[in-house]
Order: sequence, then structure tokens, then C-alpha cells
Amino acid sequence: MGKEKVILLVEDNPDDVMLTKRAFRRCHIPIRIEVAEDGVEALDYLFCSGKWHDRCPETDPQVMLLDLKLPRVSGLEVLKKVRSEPRTHHLPVVILTSSREEEDVFRGYDLGANSYIRKPVDFESFVRAIGQLGMYWLELNEPPVKRDPRGADDH
Amino acid sequence: MTGGTEESAVSPDGAAFGNQEFMTAMVNILEDFAVEQERLEAMPRAVMNILEDAAAEKERLEEAQRAMLNLLEDFDVERERTRTANEELRTTLENLRRAKEAAEAANRELEAFSYSVSHDLRAPLRAIDGFSLALVEDYGNTLDEDARDYLGRIRAATQKMGQLIDDLLKLSRLTRGDMKITKIDITGLAEEIAAELRTAQPDRHVTFRIAPRLQGRGDANLLRVALQNLVGNAWKFTSKKPEAVIEVGSAQAKGVTAFYVRDNGAGFDMTYADKLFGTFQRLHTDRDYPGTGIGLSIVQRVVHRHGGSVWAEGEPGKGATFWFTLG
Repeated sequence: MGKEKVILLVEDNPDDVMLTKRAFRRCHIPIRIEVAEDGVEALDYLFCSGKWHDRCPETDPQVMLLDLKLPRVSGLEVLKKVRSEPRTHHLPVVILTSSREEEDVFRGYDLGANSYIRKPVDFESFVRAIGQLGMYWLELNEPPVKRDPRGADDH
Repeated sequence: MTGGTEESAVSPDGAAFGNQEFMTAMVNILEDFAVEQERLEAMPRAVMNILEDAAAEKERLEEAQRAMLNLLEDFDVERERTRTANEELRTTLENLRRAKEAAEAANRELEAFSYSVSHDLRAPLRAIDGFSLALVEDYGNTLDEDARDYLGRIRAATQKMGQLIDDLLKLSRLTRGDMKITKIDITGLAEEIAAELRTAQPDRHVTFRIAPRLQGRGDANLLRVALQNLVGNAWKFTSKKPEAVIEVGSAQAKGVTAFYVRDNGAGFDMTYADKLFGTFQRLHTDRDYPGTGIGLSIVQRVVHRHGGSVWAEGEPGKGATFWFTLG
């Protein structure tokens, strides 16, 4: 098997973090889940700065699960920044939130989200959603190809 | 005889003239004098007349002046009145502007509120449900029957609350947003909804009688929501009838076209008819017919937004008919 697969979970609610981790476990998806508790931490993780300054950029996450309502920097702001930087431009982003407000769905896709999933209240439905999401983004989906911006081989 | 007497009275010194000539001359002079005097006497009268005329003229002028002043005064009053009216208009416009601003602020607040409800109220529910299930899954074999039953009730209640929140949001969303009024094929809409219901519950035996060519003017999305609720209700409240019949049609009522959705289901007691459309008001228990009590509030809000009215007739055990107009 290849490298260990990593998911970046951007979620400020510790209950939701626990439940999401539990849902992944229940779906038997072997995965490392990195948690960022707000938008600032998420950007630090992705750009290897702040508390993540010594993170190896080689282990970029396979997908980012992004909540929208976050302290400091909101999910939509994170998304905007991610799409504007060449380093993270192609990162698959799945919005995973409680809100079904039309405006959020619209702006999420408008800013380049790959998917928008509303967390169900019912935990069994949530586990099913996580199972399908994990299967799709970690198994089925071919991740974006990394290329050096100058076209040189970096290995 | 008289002359004789006068002659004798005249002085003898007048002998240079004849007596008679003197007298004549005198009379002439006197006459001339009288004329002159008369003329003189007439003069002040003329002056008086002139003066009198002048006074009248002055009076007229003064009157004209007074009239002019009155006019000016009236003009001032009028101008003042106009100024006041303008002032009032400005105040009214200002109030209107403020009211509009307040309404917009309230709307923004409502948006923020429903956003918060949508997001923040659901998160704890998810935790309650998730950890209740975790207890059952991880510690199920150490829990007795009662404990598992309680956990099941906790989960059912959280899911019910989740449904309530969703429905409440749906209701609040209906008051927002603009309406796009077009011609609506109500027959087609009802047939689509009937097909959706059949697909969702293929084991139910329900006869639909949908009148052809039903048409109305309204917002397609809102009317779909209203019809979904009315036909969905008819579907739900006939669930205990072996031969369920749902009719959709129209008739003239109060001079306008009224549409109706009729079923032969559970019906309701007309005593409580005014409670039917209240938010969260239910006439049946959740055990008999599950629901949140928001569907008919949604119908009412949609119909009112179209300027129409909605009413219902029913009888327990015999069915119900819901009528609505589109203004």
C-alpha cells in the first residue's frame, strides 16, 4: 500500500470532532485525521506555518473536510485562500456543515468547493454519509497530480 | 299812492339824478351783487363736493389697500400652510425611510437568526444522538432493557427536534425572497406530487382524481410547496383507509376560482378548524399520524403571500377538504 492517507478536518466543535472520528472508525476507513480547530489553524496546516511550521509538506491531505462556521477565519475564507494559492489550488475540499442555507451552498460552490454535505442529526445517517464520503474521496477519486510550478522534477 | 310816499322819503340831495334812474341803477347793482354772492356761495359747495368726492375716493383707495393687505395676508397664510404641508411630507418620508431601514435591519436579523438556528441548534442535537448511540453500541451488553429503552427515547426526541428545526427554517424561508408570478399548471403539479408519493410508498393503495386543465397564477416554487403539503396531508391522513381517495379540483367560491384537495381520511372536528393553520398546532397525536404541525402554516403563508385565502371542511372519520384561492 502507498502512503498513509490523511484527512484534514476543520471543525471547532469537539463533540463533532469525536463523532466524525468515530464515524470513520465505524466505516473501517484506515486514515489519519488531522484536526484544525479554526480557519487560522487550517491555513497554518496547509501552508506549514504557525504551529505546523515543521509539518512535512509531502503529506498533504487527500481531502479537507471544512466546516463553515469557525472562529477567527471562517470556512468560506479558508476556501477562498486555498483556491487562490497554487500550492493548494487543486486540493479537494468537501464542505461538511450543519447549515443548509442556500447562500452558504451557493457561495461554497462559487468559491470552488468540490462537494457540499450537510451533517445529519441522526448519527446513523452521519456514519453512512462519512462512509460514502470516505469511499469516494479516499478510494475512488484520483487525487490531483502535483507538479512543480516551474515544471522541474522535484524528486 | 305808495310811490308818492317813497318820493317824499327820498332826500332832496339826489336832485342830480332823476329819482327813478337812481333806483334802477341801485337795483341793478344789487342784482349783480346778489348773482355774485350766489356765485360766491356756490363756490364752497363745489369745494365741499370736491372734497366729498376726494374723501370717497380715499375711502375706495383705502378699501382697495385693505383688500390688498388681506390678500397678502391670505397669501402668507397659504404659504405657511404649504410650508407646513411640505414639512409634514418631509417628516412622513423620513419616517417611511426609517421604517424601511428598520424592516431591512429586522430582515437581516432574521437571516442571522435562522442561520444560527440552522447551524448552532443542530450541532448539540447531533452530539446527543451520536453519544446516545455510542452508549448503546459500546456498552449495550452491560445496559439492561430499561436503559436501552431510555436511550432509544433520547434519540427519537433529538431526531424529532431536528425535524422541527428544519420545518421551522422552511417556514421562515417562505417569507423571504421574491415571488415570480407565472401561469401554473396545477393539474400537472398535482400529478407530479401524486407520483412522488406513490414512489415513496408503493405499497399504499390510493386513488387520485385530479381534474384536468386546472390553472392558476402564482409562484411555481411556493405553490409546489403548498400543494405538496396539502396532497401529502391527504396521503398521510388516509393511511388507515383501505380504499383511499384523494381528489384535486376547482369550483367557484365567493366569485373566484377556489382549488381544493379532498380526501376520505381521518378528517377533523370542525370545532377545532381555527387551530388547523396555527404553527405547531396538531389535531392528531404523533402516534396516530406523525408530523410537526408546520405543514398547514406553510400552506397558509404561501396562500396569503399570493393574496388568497385558505379554509377547510371536515368531519371525523369521513375526510377533509382544504380550499384555497390565489387572490
